Amino acid sequence: MNESAADAEIGGPVWAAIPIGDDLGSLDYVLTTKMVEDYRRVVGNPYAAYPTVAARHPANLFYRKYKAVMRVPNMGHDSEYFNPPVADKRITIQGRIADKYIRRGQPYIIIEAVATDEDGRLIERSRLVGHARQVGRDAAHGTIAQKWGA
Amino acid sequence: MPATLKMDDRLEPISHEVTDQMMVEFEKVVWDRGQNSHTDVKAAQADGITRTIASGQNQMAFLHEMLERNFGDGWVYGGKISVRYIHPVHAGDVLTANGVVTEVDEHGGSPRVTVQVWCENQNGRKTSAGTVNAGQPSARRSWIGTQGDTP
Repeated sequence: MNESAADAEIGGPVWAAIPIGDDLGSLDYVLTTKMVEDYRRVVGNPYAAYPTVAARHPANLFYRKYKAVMRVPNMGHDSEYFNPPVADKRITIQGRIADKYIRRGQPYIIIEAVATDEDGRLIERSRLVGHARQVGRDAAHGTIAQKWGA
Repeated sequence: MPATLKMDDRLEPISHEVTDQMMVEFEKVVWDRGQNSHTDVKAAQADGITRTIASGQNQMAFLHEMLERNFGDGWVYGGKISVRYIHPVHAGDVLTANGVVTEVDEHGGSPRVTVQVWCENQNGRKTSAGTVNAGQPSARRSWIGTQGDTP
């Protein structure tokens, strides 16, 4: 069995079929003043600069395309922040599959989303490190339960 | 006002208790994600765990607060973070976000600071860990006043 076949066996057929570079399209929404206020209240930080932390741009773009077949519990993030979003401006997010790999016997998918506002300001670039869990085959948090008894 | 950081400096930490209400509301603010393993016990059980767990983004929010307080514009405009969520967080846990400077250098003529960051729970267990790169601290907080708040 060659390396890619071994990876496909671990990751499962859905993981194997998702191509690196896959375009996840774009979405847009208005980050309202109320959303900003609610976020700051919930996290207890009255001047939080990036309420978009709760928006989960990569996951939302991914699930629009793959929700029926794949879950990607959040194992980490690699993010860059350029300009805080301005309240009541429309934000557009664009996503792609940036990478995928097997590490320590577990399959991962790296989902990238880039957010810009209606004035063309670059807000952030976020990469979600998703633990690839095939719907109907793997419990989304099964390995957490196995490892931590959670 | 933040001072210029040097090797081995510790950032001022911040602490928050994670509550059920916070976990539920966090899933609704900005983007309503519906019922899931962060908000609903049945959804959590369907996902293979016995009770709800906090989203990793909850921890990211705490790390952001620590970085905003310590770096001001130095973090908010051009900051980078790489973090992994390494231990489950549940309602009732008290998380503290921490940081230690591991490198100070220049990039493109601008000073940059690398910081080892982590969150730990009330038992001293690390729940997330990673690395941040930001400019040297600035007293400026230019974003305040642009999001419907009062400078």
